[in-house]
Amino acid sequence: MENSSIIQRSIARPEFGPFVLLVVELAVFWGFNHDFLSPQNISNILAFTVELGLIALAMTLLMTSGEFDLSVGSLFGFSPVLMWTLFNSGLTSLEAGFVLALLVAAFIGLVNGWFVTQLKIPSFLVTLGMLLVVRGTALFVTSGFPQRTWSAEGSWLAEALVGDFFIGPFRIYMSLFWFIAAAIALGYVLTQSRTGNWIQAAGGNPNAARARGVNVSGVKIGLFILSSIMASLAGVISSLRTSAANPNSGTGYELEVIAMVVIGGTALTGGRGTIIGTVLGILILRVMRNGIVLIGVPGLAYNIFIGAIILGMMALHSWLERRHQAGT
Amino acid sequence: MAEPLVRMENIRKSYGRVQALVDANFHVNEKEIVGLLGDNGAGKSTLIKVLSGAVPLTSGDIFIRGKKVDLRSTSDAIAHGIETIYQDSALVTQLSIARNLFLGREPIKPPRFLNRMDQEAMNVVARDLLKQVGISKDIPPTTPIGSLSGGERQAVAIARAMHFDSDLIILDEPTNNLGVAETQGVLSFVRSARDSGHSCIFIAHNIHHVFQVVDRIVVMRRGKVVADDIDPKNTNVAEVERIITGMSDKEIRDAIVQGKQPQG
Repeated sequence: MENSSIIQRSIARPEFGPFVLLVVELAVFWGFNHDFLSPQNISNILAFTVELGLIALAMTLLMTSGEFDLSVGSLFGFSPVLMWTLFNSGLTSLEAGFVLALLVAAFIGLVNGWFVTQLKIPSFLVTLGMLLVVRGTALFVTSGFPQRTWSAEGSWLAEALVGDFFIGPFRIYMSLFWFIAAAIALGYVLTQSRTGNWIQAAGGNPNAARARGVNVSGVKIGLFILSSIMASLAGVISSLRTSAANPNSGTGYELEVIAMVVIGGTALTGGRGTIIGTVLGILILRVMRNGIVLIGVPGLAYNIFIGAIILGMMALHSWLERRHQAGT
Repeated sequence: MAEPLVRMENIRKSYGRVQALVDANFHVNEKEIVGLLGDNGAGKSTLIKVLSGAVPLTSGDIFIRGKKVDLRSTSDAIAHGIETIYQDSALVTQLSIARNLFLGREPIKPPRFLNRMDQEAMNVVARDLLKQVGISKDIPPTTPIGSLSGGERQAVAIARAMHFDSDLIILDEPTNNLGVAETQGVLSFVRSARDSGHSCIFIAHNIHHVFQVVDRIVVMRRGKVVADDIDPKNTNVAEVERIITGMSDKEIRDAIVQGKQPQG
């Protein structure tokens, strides 16, 4: 009896569906091609996973509060461009350029949050506008050309963010630890802290939250800032790892990140979010991208699978939600 | 006579040219349940919104225990001990009972900089409160509000008001859409709130529910309080309906007949 209720409770959790899907995915890809679980391939998947993952973690909190941010992909491209432009022109050191890039990102998040909470404009429109402003600035500043990036060798910043080392046969980048630390910290904030309760209340019923004295606007502005900073950090990490700062990089990431978050079980309408689910969602999409190429499906077919996964997971989440509401 | 808990004097509220409240006077005594009645558009909702800080008044004064107060927001009203419970809007359905009870005032576990909620303490208090308001079923405090019935949600909202020592609990249509047993449950929560020292304003379309629970009935018509001292023990539903509509028995009968004619 007790056992069956534990199983029932696990099935009812929003993370259950994504977990099963990930296991199935791993099994299928491994079945087709045993190299899929080779140390080299796993290292490859992890390296790029954490960069989009950092954005998805912050987006989970923002979406739980009932908003989302379409400008993250453009910041992913813009921040490294800004950092390298400052450094290459001799205006700042690489580290100071990095800090400035994060500050500019924070300001952009603040502007997003201010428009959404004070002017009451939907976040879809505000961040769509910001996407164009930021991407446009990156293209204008660089005239559309990638920035010179080769001089980061030996900088402690590059070591701390993307330094790599081997654990057995696995090549691990430092960014993986930043990702794990961010996942633990934000998971803690969402489920254990008072702020987490406010984030969920702000997304679930903002009027009720406001009536209880919760500063709903403050919470949302804070999360817009967090989202921008994480996108900026992810962009810088990616640029240091690949030694490239392309003003076009990150195009379309916003939708991929939102897909990761909703596949993981966070409600698009706000009020309910899960960091564990998002980590699973990140892995599902990255493993899919890597796996279909490895088993010989043309890479261009990737979006078909992603679309099908999103539709399937949404159907599952909505079914679970209805069961949940019915109190079963 | 003792100073009432809340006194509203010459309250005016206009929306553009529409006068929603015209010199309304209203009071609630300590440990008293007041039934506020009136037809649609009589001004009861506006009066309650003014008192709960949701809309600003155009002119007039509000006193709490004789002291003049300025209620600019719902948080202001809550800080002055006035809690308003609307049918559906007071709770966050995705959060658990305990998290809703403490929303905005969550206890923190030391060390404080970790900002960690003391969930065990919240659950213990929540379990106690649920018993106090008489929820008979054994519902764990970690249950999300979304899986509770309408009556149970009302109970949680009332429990929250009682726990945080609200002096005045305003219930706006608390028995709407509830079944017979659930309605009786809500009425008994209201009585237990009064018995533990709280005052209540009870607004309901169903006059029978009001009669079962209130100490005094106040009737509003066209933005004014037209009767504020009706003892439910010394009157009947028909009499109160007459005051609400402002019509005589014969006029009411005629109105009903006229209303039926088109169908007949």
